[in-house]
Amino acid sequence: MIEVSHLTKRYGAHLAVDDISFTVEDGCIYGLLGPNGAGKSTTMNMVTGYLSPTSGTVTINGHDIQQEPQAAKACIGYLPELPPLYIDMGVTEYLSFVAELKGVRKKADRTAAVARVCERTGLREVSRRLIRNLSKGYRQRVGLAAALLGDPRVIILDEPTVGLDPVQMIEIRELIHDLGQHHTVILSSHILSEVQTICDRVLIISGGKLVAQGTPEELAARLASRGMISATAQGGREAVLAAAAALPGLSDLRVTAEKGDEVSFTAVSTDGADHRAELSAALAAAGCPVLSLASEQMSLEEVFLQLTESEPAGGEPAGEETQQPAGEAAEEAGAAAPESGPAAAEAEPPAPDAEDGAGDEPDDSAGAGAPPAPDDPPRPEEENGKEGD
Amino acid sequence: MTAIFKRETKSYFTGMIGYVVIAVLVAFIGLYYSANCLVYGSPDFSSVLYSTTIAMLFVLPALSMRSFADERRNKTDQLLLTSPITIPQIVLGKYLAQLAVFAVPMLLACLLPLLLSAFGEVLLAGAYATLLAYFLLGAACIAVGTFVSVLTENQIIAYLATFGLLLASYLMEDIQTLFTTGSTMAFIIFSIALVVIAVLVGLVCKSLTVGCGTFCGGAVLLILVFQMRPTWLLNGLNSVLDALALFAPFRDFVGGMFSLSSILYYLSVVGLFLFLTGQALERRRWN
Repeated sequence: MIEVSHLTKRYGAHLAVDDISFTVEDGCIYGLLGPNGAGKSTTMNMVTGYLSPTSGTVTINGHDIQQEPQAAKACIGYLPELPPLYIDMGVTEYLSFVAELKGVRKKADRTAAVARVCERTGLREVSRRLIRNLSKGYRQRVGLAAALLGDPRVIILDEPTVGLDPVQMIEIRELIHDLGQHHTVILSSHILSEVQTICDRVLIISGGKLVAQGTPEELAARLASRGMISATAQGGREAVLAAAAALPGLSDLRVTAEKGDEVSFTAVSTDGADHRAELSAALAAAGCPVLSLASEQMSLEEVFLQLTESEPAGGEPAGEETQQPAGEAAEEAGAAAPESGPAAAEAEPPAPDAEDGAGDEPDDSAGAGAPPAPDDPPRPEEENGKEGD
Repeated sequence: MTAIFKRETKSYFTGMIGYVVIAVLVAFIGLYYSANCLVYGSPDFSSVLYSTTIAMLFVLPALSMRSFADERRNKTDQLLLTSPITIPQIVLGKYLAQLAVFAVPMLLACLLPLLLSAFGEVLLAGAYATLLAYFLLGAACIAVGTFVSVLTENQIIAYLATFGLLLASYLMEDIQTLFTTGSTMAFIIFSIALVVIAVLVGLVCKSLTVGCGTFCGGAVLLILVFQMRPTWLLNGLNSVLDALALFAPFRDFVGGMFSLSSILYYLSVVGLFLFLTGQALERRRWN
């Protein structure tokens, strides 16, 4: 079990990690999720004792990393972002060195331990080669094998799949999943789908702060209560938006499509209540008949974006100003309502941000609608799209 | 510690550096040995070693430059610092590996006086005592280099800085003669040192008052000593400069004297710089 309490790291005036506390239970896979530069690596470096925290404590299986560093470090296998490999050594030689470093004294034990981790990480066929000559994927595996040596209870992996090709990525993920059976695993990632598929629990870090934690489902459910409504109404764009904006409890209005006199838009419920009935009544009162109305679940991806962005993408005024291109694009493509969402997404290419086309429809169109804001964190979406999970 | 020692020693020989260091030292010792002992027939092996101390200046920084600088650049220090070993073990493991490489030419040199004794009377005890002092001198140089190496992640900077430090200490006696002009000079130098120390103290404590307080206290003390006992300042300066002359105590041995204080001096230099290395390594975790 790892207990992290009030962990803070300050570099001069820059606060890299700001008062993070969490507890890691045995036998689970934890995902540390956050955009680049959020403080994931710094947190991991402090948990493993590579860096000293400015304040706060880390306790690993009852051993404080500052007070009893050796006992605490003996419980941890760590794969940093860049695997710490001596490239002039052979794979077996390096692993044997790491095993000895971790206190495997007898030579026979070391050989057995190295053979075991090589088997496990699929390094058998390259075990005689120099690390210098290995590809990135294999180097990552050597680092992972090194982390497994000494049979640590806790395995900490900093972005274990970064820079790997999709096949290697899947292999490493399967390996991590297997590791989760016998070890406690903490991994960091900026790839959402990865965390969503492998991890039992997710910790979302942004700007050095822990902004949310829970199982992927919990996190999604928690923010799904901030339900999103997508609606299509007949009438002038201004009239429709004015009627919707007048409702308390709805924010973040975005026009997703406009065709003829039909306006499709999404809105986020800020107080968690279901505003569909009120919206329908308000639109009707404004003389804009409602053509369709649906509440949508937010995916973890949207939760992530909401949590990690300082401003939820595109406030209302920005939305008003920039929604024109999206409307036009959709018009050209002949896409109309959110119900025909997939069609809308497929027909999007003329829109400026078309490469983001794999996300969910409302978010996606919004991405096209307000280029400056959602452009910043395109990574989770892109990655998601690439892997096609 | 043994793991690090073995790895480091081996890595000196998988690359070129180990061989180069050994070859250069053996070549220099061999050259002077041939010229002095074999050609001229001098039985004095100590002076051979004395002539080759300058080779250390060039060669030993090459040995120590990569010890920590390289680890930091390749981020392999992350492995060492997150393994269940202590910082003294890391420092000692690396230091002993360098000593092991340096010991190879020393062991070869051990044969030379024996070889010489086949031709006539050789003072073997003196020769081996000098060899011991020579080894300790080298050990002290390597400790300095190890400390410099931990401060940078660039091997070339580590090499040049170590070389500069060793050269300054090699020439320290010449430098010293520049400053023996009188106690006023000593006063000025101590004042400058005081300013530097006060600024450093102020920066470390992040407090202007502490810095100024250090300076004022030191200045009062310095002026008092300067007024009452001006010779103390001069002697103090000389002994400080003496302590910085790493190569001077070695000369006692060359003169045929077994000087215990010299041996203790070298051992304490090694201890001090290894301690500083450990501290620097520890400190890096904090910022």
